[in-house]
Amino acid sequence: MVDMDFRLSTEQALLVETAILLLTRECPSSLVRATASGDGGPAADLFERHLRDWCALGAEPLVDLALFLIEAGAAVAPGPFLATAGLFTPLLHAVGHELAAPASTGAILGTVALPASDPDPERRRAVDLDLVDLVAVVVDEPGRSGIALVETTALESRVVETFDLARSTHAFALPDELDVFAADPAAIEVAIDRMTVAVAAEMVGVARWCVETGVEYAKQRVQFGKPIGAFQAVQHKLVDAALAYEQAAAAVAYAAMAVDADDRERRRAVHVAKASAGQAARGAAKVAMQVLAGVGFTFEHDLHLRLRRAYGDDVLLGAASWHLDRLADLLFTPVLP
Amino acid sequence: MRLGFDPEDEAFRDELRVFVEQHAPPEARRGRDWIGDDDDTDADGIMIIPAWAREWQATLFDHGWMIPGYPPELGGRNATPTETLVYLEELARMGVPRSVHFGGYAIVGPSLLEFGNDDQKAMAPAAIRGDTVWCVGMSEPNAGSDLASLSTRAVEDGDSFIVNGQKVWTSYAMVASKCFCYVRTDVDVPPHKGISVLIIDLDTPGLEVRPLRHISGRAEFAEVFLTDVVVPRSNLVGDLNSGWRITMGSLAHERGALWVEGVMAAQRGVEDLVALARERGVDGDAVVRRRIAELTCRVLSLKAMGYKGFASFAQGSSAPEHSFMKLANSELRQAIFECGMDLQGVDLATLDPDAASEGARWQKSWMTSLAGTIGGGTSEIQRNVIATRVLGLPKG
Repeated sequence: MVDMDFRLSTEQALLVETAILLLTRECPSSLVRATASGDGGPAADLFERHLRDWCALGAEPLVDLALFLIEAGAAVAPGPFLATAGLFTPLLHAVGHELAAPASTGAILGTVALPASDPDPERRRAVDLDLVDLVAVVVDEPGRSGIALVETTALESRVVETFDLARSTHAFALPDELDVFAADPAAIEVAIDRMTVAVAAEMVGVARWCVETGVEYAKQRVQFGKPIGAFQAVQHKLVDAALAYEQAAAAVAYAAMAVDADDRERRRAVHVAKASAGQAARGAAKVAMQVLAGVGFTFEHDLHLRLRRAYGDDVLLGAASWHLDRLADLLFTPVLP
Repeated sequence: MRLGFDPEDEAFRDELRVFVEQHAPPEARRGRDWIGDDDDTDADGIMIIPAWAREWQATLFDHGWMIPGYPPELGGRNATPTETLVYLEELARMGVPRSVHFGGYAIVGPSLLEFGNDDQKAMAPAAIRGDTVWCVGMSEPNAGSDLASLSTRAVEDGDSFIVNGQKVWTSYAMVASKCFCYVRTDVDVPPHKGISVLIIDLDTPGLEVRPLRHISGRAEFAEVFLTDVVVPRSNLVGDLNSGWRITMGSLAHERGALWVEGVMAAQRGVEDLVALARERGVDGDAVVRRRIAELTCRVLSLKAMGYKGFASFAQGSSAPEHSFMKLANSELRQAIFECGMDLQGVDLATLDPDAASEGARWQKSWMTSLAGTIGGGTSEIQRNVIATRVLGLPKG
């Protein structure tokens, strides 16, 4: 790992500040809950009025996209932003596809086909398929490598119900004939790294919200005559969750820098980022659930929205355990003389 | 945000590397950070300070490489915070120690400079150079985590204090000539308001040092018994009953960067685990691979966290990240060494250097590393402190 400087530029600090203001005001939990209950109207409105403009981040340095997605993750922002700016645009941009430009203005919306658990390799899944125009399929076969864009209206898909009520998942079979746009496998690999860090950034935001919420609740909630946050058993759980969050936040920032710089540590950093963010988000959500206890376990409280996203995001582009195994593959790759 | 340091900082690193190449004795070039090395003890396992270590520390001081953030007369070169980070990072990367006893340069020297009178300030250079070896008398049989409850009593008697009591787990007491000793000078006030610091010469009549072996059988700390020990009043550091404030004193110059050493050592540890797994023929085992990857993930994310905190520190902001470092690193290193033991299968608990890998260093290092979650504030105390000071939770 090389040395690194995590100081935010003035522009980056402003980006974060603006994102917080925007999402606090325009993406309240009532909007997330509307999406979760099947009313996509408010989320579509949020995208039209604000988030479409932010889609440019999909073609910007990953560090900047990640800073925004951390805030989007904390707010559990619904809609096609992650799919378009976090997945679709980076892929098109990396392979030099002409639709990268309209995607980065939000004029064309897209998502990316992910592997499905089905034994049939031709079946795929995608998030927020119902909100976008195109789905990009990575083609990696002997003799042909590239991406294929398929119109979502041309797909026969079915909804796969998951934990995450504010983000849809669809399963579909690929068309028999794909019109493949040829691309260098190395470029696709970099694009997948970029997408992976984008998802990890969302989880950093989820973890932060859960730690902050757990801490605030522990200060307020009085039992046995004192705030429960004064009890060591509660304190130590929250400290461990906070530590995991801090480590994940740093690992994601580092991975974003390593991808932007095409550093030789890039792949290792991406696996560390996704694994630590997944563990931190899932862990923090569970700690917050335990601290908020009966209150956190109600549908009425917003905690379950984060718990759901933590698990939904962890499995996107490889769960923590999968990334640890890929990290092991890198560590155990024989070093050539 | 970006990767890498400025060219000036890299030039600083190069200068250090050249210096170490030219001046470091072979014994200082350990190359790795096995804790519990045997070469700093005598035949009975009692800690000694080898001649090379004394000379090396003095050489570092004389060339301004002992505490780079200090001015030349204190063994430094007025280095910037970033240069100090580069310095600690590079020494750790090379596996070269500054000193084999940290009490003098890291605690006593800086505390004398901050709290001492002019005569005491004048003792700081020798403490940092290692010419005077110091121990720090803090813990007592009944004052471990609850340090403020210490009861070694110092009673004013004319121009002297008469000291009675006992210290324990006192690192380096058998090789030190002076003790930076925390004593109770007032019993009628809340515990932390009645503590003072005295400089006590270890050859003062009535003072006895008994080496105390730790679990590996080595002795690098001791019990110190004080019976009617007479200490001149001029040896009081700072004001009477102001000792609690001094416990907070340490190397402020390096506070933002001290974590580097531990993280770099942990990184070497996980790299060595990969080599060990190959040597033991278990590198294809999925469980082994997952476990080493998990540890590597913890090390690399911790390292990123350290640098992220340093970015705040260098800008003059507080760095909550660094509050977690001691806690995280001490637990991580135990886990790394224990993994190294487990990779050796039937030899996991073997000390026979012909059977256990690398002379049983994983086993020995693990055993010594158990002190890491106890000394300098147990992991439980660390969590309490982080909970209240960083997360803002109420005190228990």
